[in-house]
Amino acid sequence: MTTSSFERNRCTRISPSAVLDDRLDGKDLEWARDHLRRCEACRERVEDFREMLLRVGRLPSAAVGPAAMDEAFALSIPDRLRAGVGSRSYDIAPAQPMPTVPVAADLSSPLRPEVTSVPDLLTELEREIFRDEPVQDHPTRLSPMPEPLYSTMTEPDEIEPVRPAEPVQPLSFYEPAPTEPEPIEDVVEPELAAPTQPEAFPIPLREVPVDSHREVEPDDWAAQPEHEEWTRQPEPVDAEPSRWDRLAAVTSERPVDQEPVLPINEESEVATPIAPKKPDTAMRIAVGLGAAACVLLAAVLYEGGWLSKVVTGGATGTKVAATASIRPSATVRPSATVRASPPPSPSPTAAPAAPVLFTLGNGVGGGTVFRIRPGTAVAGYTRLVFDIRGSGLPTMIITKPDDLHVGVTFQNTTAAGVPVNGIHSYQVAGIEPAVQQGADGSITIDLARPVRVTAFTLAATGSYAWRLVVDLHTS
Amino acid sequence: MEREFYSDFPLVLNYVARLMDDIDGAAAVTCAAFRQIADGLRHRPAGEGIRRADVLRAATELSRQSLRPRRWFRRRPTPQVILEGFPQAEARRALRRDTVQRALSALPFEARAMILLRDFVKLSYDELAEVVDVPPKKLVHALDRSRAEFGEIYDYIKF
Repeated sequence: MTTSSFERNRCTRISPSAVLDDRLDGKDLEWARDHLRRCEACRERVEDFREMLLRVGRLPSAAVGPAAMDEAFALSIPDRLRAGVGSRSYDIAPAQPMPTVPVAADLSSPLRPEVTSVPDLLTELEREIFRDEPVQDHPTRLSPMPEPLYSTMTEPDEIEPVRPAEPVQPLSFYEPAPTEPEPIEDVVEPELAAPTQPEAFPIPLREVPVDSHREVEPDDWAAQPEHEEWTRQPEPVDAEPSRWDRLAAVTSERPVDQEPVLPINEESEVATPIAPKKPDTAMRIAVGLGAAACVLLAAVLYEGGWLSKVVTGGATGTKVAATASIRPSATVRPSATVRASPPPSPSPTAAPAAPVLFTLGNGVGGGTVFRIRPGTAVAGYTRLVFDIRGSGLPTMIITKPDDLHVGVTFQNTTAAGVPVNGIHSYQVAGIEPAVQQGADGSITIDLARPVRVTAFTLAATGSYAWRLVVDLHTS
Repeated sequence: MEREFYSDFPLVLNYVARLMDDIDGAAAVTCAAFRQIADGLRHRPAGEGIRRADVLRAATELSRQSLRPRRWFRRRPTPQVILEGFPQAEARRALRRDTVQRALSALPFEARAMILLRDFVKLSYDELAEVVDVPPKKLVHALDRSRAEFGEIYDYIKF
């Protein structure tokens, strides 16, 4: 049997399974032999398949001990089919790595009990059903007592007592699911043999009729003069509060959607008085408002960055202004006045609040930052490469004014006009346009999350210019 | 029946363990398969015993049902049968570390069953066709596809 398809320019005319399993004969076999003699690809495929076949065939088999076999036999074969088979009559050979099972052709005839030997087919069938699916599909657990299945029959005494179907049945077999609801308790009628005597109490108790199944009739409730009683309650005129006042206070605090209170009969006078509850609605509202205010305050502080500024060291108004001048945000563009009249000291000393992470370079001026290349951008870190055209590396100062910004200042270097669009990564939210402050150019990197900054420089070599490499690691 | 059971049970058990890639749950499936076939013997003519192909077919179907993902409202506990001394710890470890077994477990169920039945259980083509319910004429192509996929996966994960 052959196939006539090509797969990736590889001959697949020969079916390796047909060759390996001896499924070819006659002309097909001759053609396949001839083709295999000439086709290297088909020969390789057949050899590959042969290796696969041998690998699977050499898979080891787990040994099953005699005790496990006996247990499995007791579990698998029903009682009626193994009647008369007490125990194994021969030893079990250990598992072979290559199991071969002979076809049992000359075995003795299997035990097959007659159906008429079963006392009642319905009983047997029911037993089998409940044994196979003990709990899973049966909503209620079977009662341990044999139920009177044939109560209407004339001769119930002929029914054999129900024996356990499987004598060897571990408890772990078919355990009920933990997610399933608890089965309904066994419906077992209590024994009526001897009624229990009521316990004698030293004090005679009054009998209070309780009818838990009485349905609430809305018309009757509407007819109750509940409001009339409340309206008829006079204002307390004496200083001594009565028990009825406390009860009225409690019922007045009752929510609307609760069920109506049962009518108080004369027996309720002796009931335990309910402790008066103070309305705590105001307290709850106050606590809720306070919590909401705390969350709001924390959110405002976090979004404004005030917490980090306070932590990074005594941020004053002048310091914040200085930081803002050297780190223009994306929304507030540097104005013309800033460019026309730069701060007197545009060097990093103008921003003393921003901690200097690195100072790199050789102090060569006159260069130009002409490109920013995002290098490796993986979850671990993002590499930014600043290409600098010039005769050497300028002095480069990397600062970190806050957790979400990194500033790079190129002294005596032109950085304005370097393209910064489209640089995003897990760590980098964006790069702000470069700001030229006098002779120095500054580039601010907006971070998506706090990072750990490492930086180094590379000399110009080959087609590569002078480079500053900044790695932003996820902290 | 006893002799057939004792001769076939280890083989079917190992087949189910490889098929399900779960040696702990294989005993329950194997016992259920034998039980299913033994229960069906009452409807067969007298003198007929447990056929290995029938047991393997039942075991394959039960394994498929056991591996079939269930919805949350149909989730049922996996029946467990604890046999004395089975599986041994080293057998469980060997099954987990076996590269061939890992490649087999990455195959689709049908392909895995076909390869195991043919190359591990050493069924004939007729028996295999009866077990997997594929016409014998199409078995060669099905085995070709299964073995080719198995070879690709094995070559990918062997190092």
